[in-house]
Amino acid sequence: MDIHKLLKTLTETPGPSGYEDQIAAVIEELWQPYVDTITRDRVGSLIATKRATKNGRTPPRRILLAAHMDEIALMVRDVEEHNGSGFLRVTPIGGVDTRQVFGQLVVVHGRKNLTGVIGCLPARMLPEEKQDKPFDFEDLLVDMGLPIETVNSQISIGDFISFRQPLLKLMNKRVAGKSLDNRASVAAVTVCLEQLQQRQHTWEVIAVATAQEETRLLGAYTTAFAVQPDAAIAIDVTFGKGPGANEHVTHELGGGPALDLGPNVHTGMFNALKATAEEMELNINIETHQRASGTDAHGLQIAHAGIPTAIVAIPLRYMHTMVESVALKDVERAGRLLAEFIVGLDEEFLGKLATGVMEEEKESKS
Amino acid sequence: MNNLIKKLVEAYGPSGFEDQIRALIWPEIEKYADDISVDALGNLIAHKKGDGSGLKAMVAAHMDEIGVMITHITEEGFCRFTNIGGVYPHTLLGGRVQFADGRVGIIHSDRITDRSKIYGLDKHFIDVGATGRDDCPVQVGDAAGFHREFVANGKMLSAKSMDDRIGCVVAIEAMKRLKQTPHDVYFVFSVQEEIGTRGAEAAANHLDPDVGIALDVTLTGDVPEAIPMAVSLGKGTAIKVKDAGMIAHHGLVQLMKKRASEASIPYQLEVLTGGSTDARSIQIANGGAAAGCISIPCRYVHSQSETVHADDVENSIKLLVELLAKPIEL
Repeated sequence: MDIHKLLKTLTETPGPSGYEDQIAAVIEELWQPYVDTITRDRVGSLIATKRATKNGRTPPRRILLAAHMDEIALMVRDVEEHNGSGFLRVTPIGGVDTRQVFGQLVVVHGRKNLTGVIGCLPARMLPEEKQDKPFDFEDLLVDMGLPIETVNSQISIGDFISFRQPLLKLMNKRVAGKSLDNRASVAAVTVCLEQLQQRQHTWEVIAVATAQEETRLLGAYTTAFAVQPDAAIAIDVTFGKGPGANEHVTHELGGGPALDLGPNVHTGMFNALKATAEEMELNINIETHQRASGTDAHGLQIAHAGIPTAIVAIPLRYMHTMVESVALKDVERAGRLLAEFIVGLDEEFLGKLATGVMEEEKESKS
Repeated sequence: MNNLIKKLVEAYGPSGFEDQIRALIWPEIEKYADDISVDALGNLIAHKKGDGSGLKAMVAAHMDEIGVMITHITEEGFCRFTNIGGVYPHTLLGGRVQFADGRVGIIHSDRITDRSKIYGLDKHFIDVGATGRDDCPVQVGDAAGFHREFVANGKMLSAKSMDDRIGCVVAIEAMKRLKQTPHDVYFVFSVQEEIGTRGAEAAANHLDPDVGIALDVTLTGDVPEAIPMAVSLGKGTAIKVKDAGMIAHHGLVQLMKKRASEASIPYQLEVLTGGSTDARSIQIANGGAAAGCISIPCRYVHSQSETVHADDVENSIKLLVELLAKPIEL
């Protein structure tokens, strides 16, 4: 699978939280050949089912893979007229980093898609106290070079605005672009589904591209409730190492996916994933979270009677900017790890999770 | 309609203490519902049956209001208190509260030594006229709502707890006017919205609706030095696109716009940067619902003179009826 090409398609397709129609359509087309059914639910998540290919329990156990497809974006808050031209005032959707919004290219999803730039007064024309600070959203505007009449007829308050950025190829099989958080994980799930075509598995796989993670983990809560899987894995990005980054919560780009430990993660699930990676001789990192993980796992975990949940994370630099960077290799590895893990799921898996046998087995091995 | 508004806004009902306001709403809707029930949290749920061809819709307007709760009574008989919901100290001085038994207390603060400062809630007290702890008729744990008369300045309607009794009025009026609907509609007069949309959360878990519509107030950008916001009083009902707690269902927003245009109902689009509503809870309940909000623009929210415009109220009712009377395609 050409992961660069995959990421190019995925990252360059708009999908602001709450307006995931376009990205959902792209993912649906990508996953269609690998799955048996595919639907969208009321909140916009895309839910694909791949039936078990090896006889086991009836009905089969089910594992849910959740990778959110939404991205941080902007929304039109007001339309302003100046000398006959129309400008847009905006508000952020999700954790948009205000230090890097000025100067970006955007697409305004009005009656039709319109390209614009995010402008602001030059620093020297701003009040002194604002000159060396990140921008206030109140000072930013979107300029499409259009007369106010056109703006008023094409755009209304509440329209979504997505960032526009082509995927850049960097050296050493790395790429930089927008919304690699979390299209890198969508790509990993795609790799996993492709790998499973040649493999047999007794568990049913529910692959979900969740909606509105960046705003409230919406899709994680609702899909896990509706699907009621026996186990779940959230696939998301984590902080990559780089100059100035600290040692303890960051991971080398190209150093393999990170497996998360912390309150949102079932340690049995973590151990099983780690054991799979070791069998594959696949390099992994271990990361920790102390409270909420900031991923879909937080929502998946408490749905219904609770779901044993794990997190597989892809190291990424410059999170929530237009130059988010990942190593293609990590995406591919995350996908392979998921596939291998699913192939290894058997009838005894849940029992082992419940009793902690898995850890004992591991100990006796070592 | 002003009589109904006056009756509801002047009633007592801080979050968690909604018995009295529920007892007032019940007889107003009795005739128009197929079934009425009260759940364990105190939500008043009125079911209007559909013809079987539509969706299950939950409409939520919260009955509760912000208020205070007594935490301590001083030896001299003054009542210290904490907030129930978003009560801000700069709205309090010289104001009045009413307790469940109708007793009224006066709010003031410790001696102000620096007039440029706003004192915290802990520096305020309520004077109910007691001379000491022993004859103080109020107890620790007693809750009070604000006490303020309804005023109509022409079409500008001011009172305490317009948030969200005006939403209750919209729901009640819509129930009266909605003769037929394809949808199974559950009108929920919810509890405990002001402390985290708790009533709606329980009701949505129980009802499991396909569509959720909250009726609540929203802020406006039309007063001096207001937050930048393209919503004004008197310019129409507000269709929520986004607030601090959720992004409304895109398809539902488009449908609301369409229904408003078809029926020539003036509307504004709401992008609210602070606060949220019951719709936030409905959206994420169970397997999720298409959630949105018909908002009533309101000035001075969470003060004792929350102000709405009669035309916006009327247009909100009209839009809700239009929406519920016709098919909902998302």
